[in-house]
Amino acid sequence: MTTATAERLKRRRSPPLVERRFPLHLEPKFVSIRALYEQAKKGRWDPERHIPWKSFDRTAYPTKALDAAALAWSRRAWTEYGGMPETPAILIRICLEHNGESDPKMFLTVRGTEEAWHVECCWRFAELAGGYRQAPASPEYAELFNQGFHRKAFDPGVSVDAYIAAHVAVQDGIDLELYRSHLRHATDPVATAILKRLVTDKERHVAFGWVYLTERAKEWTAAMRDEVTGEIEHVIGDLELNGYHCAWLAPNDVAAEIVAADEAARAAGLGASSVAEESAVLKQWFAEARTAFAGLGITLRRFSHRRLGEV
Amino acid sequence: MSAVAAPSLLDQPEMRFPLDLSVRIPKIRELYRTAIKNQWDPQTAVAWDELDLSDKTPEQLWAARLYWSRRAWGEYGAISESPALQIRFCQERHPPDMRFFFTIRTQEESRHAEVCYLMAEKLGGYVKEPVQSAFQGSVSTHGVRKMALDPAITLEAIVASLVCAAEEIAFDVFEHLIAITTNPVANKVLRLIMRDEVRHCAFGWAYMERRAPELSKAELRIVEDAVVTMIEKVELNGYHSAWLAPDNPASRAEVEADRVTYEAGLGATIEKLEAPVFVASVKRIRKQMEPWGITLKPFFHPKLGTI
Repeated sequence: MTTATAERLKRRRSPPLVERRFPLHLEPKFVSIRALYEQAKKGRWDPERHIPWKSFDRTAYPTKALDAAALAWSRRAWTEYGGMPETPAILIRICLEHNGESDPKMFLTVRGTEEAWHVECCWRFAELAGGYRQAPASPEYAELFNQGFHRKAFDPGVSVDAYIAAHVAVQDGIDLELYRSHLRHATDPVATAILKRLVTDKERHVAFGWVYLTERAKEWTAAMRDEVTGEIEHVIGDLELNGYHCAWLAPNDVAAEIVAADEAARAAGLGASSVAEESAVLKQWFAEARTAFAGLGITLRRFSHRRLGEV
Repeated sequence: MSAVAAPSLLDQPEMRFPLDLSVRIPKIRELYRTAIKNQWDPQTAVAWDELDLSDKTPEQLWAARLYWSRRAWGEYGAISESPALQIRFCQERHPPDMRFFFTIRTQEESRHAEVCYLMAEKLGGYVKEPVQSAFQGSVSTHGVRKMALDPAITLEAIVASLVCAAEEIAFDVFEHLIAITTNPVANKVLRLIMRDEVRHCAFGWAYMERRAPELSKAELRIVEDAVVTMIEKVELNGYHSAWLAPDNPASRAEVEADRVTYEAGLGATIEKLEAPVFVASVKRIRKQMEPWGITLKPFFHPKLGTI
C-alpha cells in the first residue's frame, strides 16, 4: 500500500519537472473555472478610480481610532501580500504539471492582479488613516508571515491538489468569511468601498478552489486523499489556529497590539471585526467546510484552541 | 527541494518584513496605473462578427490559422515563464512598483494568448501543436523561468536582455505588422496587443535607467554579455522571425505560412519587409544602451550582413 508520506518522498526524489508544452490546449475545458475567468475580466476595476479615496473624512474619527485603523489595515496588507509571490508560483506549478486545462492558468493570471489591488488598497487606507506600518512590533508575530507559500507551491512533496485544498479552500475561505464580517460592520464609506471590492474578488478566488477540487477529487486515490487531508490539517493547526488570519489566536499574546487595533477599528466602523465576531465566523466556517470537504471524501478531525474552543 | 531545477532562489527562506509598499520607481508605478486603466477583454474588445473571410482561399486560411496559433504559443510562454520574475522581485525585495506592475503584466500575457487563440479559432480552428516537431524547440522557451530563479544571474542582465533587447525587437516588428496588416480585425488584434507591449518594454528601460548608474563596470559587462547572447543566439537564430532561423523543413514551412498570411492581409510579414525593421531595431537598442556604459558589438547574420 502506498502511503501519502511515501508518495511525497518519491516525488521529492524525482528529477525536477520539465514542462511539456505541446499539445497546448487553450480551449475551455473546466467550464466553471473558465466562467470565473470571464467574470473576473468583466468585473475588472481600478483602485485609483473606483475607491472614493478623497471622501475619507479624518475629522470624523478620534486619533485613537485612526491609529488603530492604520495598524489594522497595515496588518491586512502584510497578509494580502502573501499572494503576490504565491499566485505566480501556483501558476508555474500548474503549467509544469498539467498538459491540458488552460482555464486554471488563465484564472490565476487575473487573480494575481486582483491580489495586487488588494495589497494596494490596504496599504493606501492605512496611509490615509495615519500611516502604513512596514512590520509588526513583535518579531515572533512577524515570523508567522514568513511562510514562503511560493516556495511550498513549488515543492513536489506537496501535490497541487493538496496545496489548493489547504491554501485556497481553507485559508482563502477563512479569509473571505472574515472580510465579509468586516464589511458587515464597516460604516466608513471608503472602508466599505474597499471591502466590497475585495469580497467580490475573493468570492471568485475561493470558488476557484472548490471548483478545482471538485473536478480533481474524482481522480483521487486513498493516498491522495490522505495527503490532501494532512495538508489541510497542517494549515489549520499550524497557521490558522496560530493567528495567521485571526491575530487573537496567536500564542502568548504576541499580536496583542493587532487585536487591540482591530477592536478599536471595529468600534469606529473602519472595517474590522471584534474577537467575538471573528470567533463566530470561524466556528461557522469550520462547520460548513467540514461538510463541504466530506463531499470530496475528506474527513477533517476536530481542532481545539483555548480561545476558540473545539471546532 | 523544488519542482524547478536547483539551486534556485526558492532555496532561500522568505523575509517579508520590513514590507515597503511605497512608490520607489515612479515611472514603473505609473506604468502599473496606466495598465490598470487600459484593461481589455479579448471576448469583447474585438468586433469578431466583422471578420470577413469570404474572399480568402483555403490555403490562406490554413496559413493564417497556423500563424495565429503560433502567436498564441509564444504568448503562452510568457504566462508559463514570466511569473518567475514576479517571484524573484518579491523574494529579493526589489522595489514594490516592479512587483505591482508584473502582476498585471502576467494577466496581459494571458489576454494576448487568448486573443490569438480566438483569432485562430475564427479563421477555422486553433492548432494545438506545431505541424513539424522541429518547431517545438523554436517556439517553446528562451529559458526565462530558469534564469529568473537562478540567483547567479543578475536581475539587470535578465531585464536588459529579455525586455530591453528581445521584447524591444518584438515591439518594433509589431509596429511594422500593424502598418502592413490590411484585414481590420487582424489589425485590431495586433493593436490591442501592442498597446500592452509598449508598457512591457518601458518597464525594462525604466528599471535599467534606475539601475545602470549604480552598476560597476564588471556588472555592466555581465549585462552586456547577456544582451549579446540574446541577440546573437536567440533573435538571430529565429526565435521571433523564422527566416532568420537555420534552414530546415520546419523553418521553411513557417516562412511559407507567413508569406501566405501576409499576402492575405491577415497578419505576418516577409523577410524583405522585416529585415530593415530588425536591423533598425538592433541599431536603436545599441544606441539606447550606450548611456548605460554598454557598447554592443557588431552582429553578423548571412541574410542581414553586419549590423
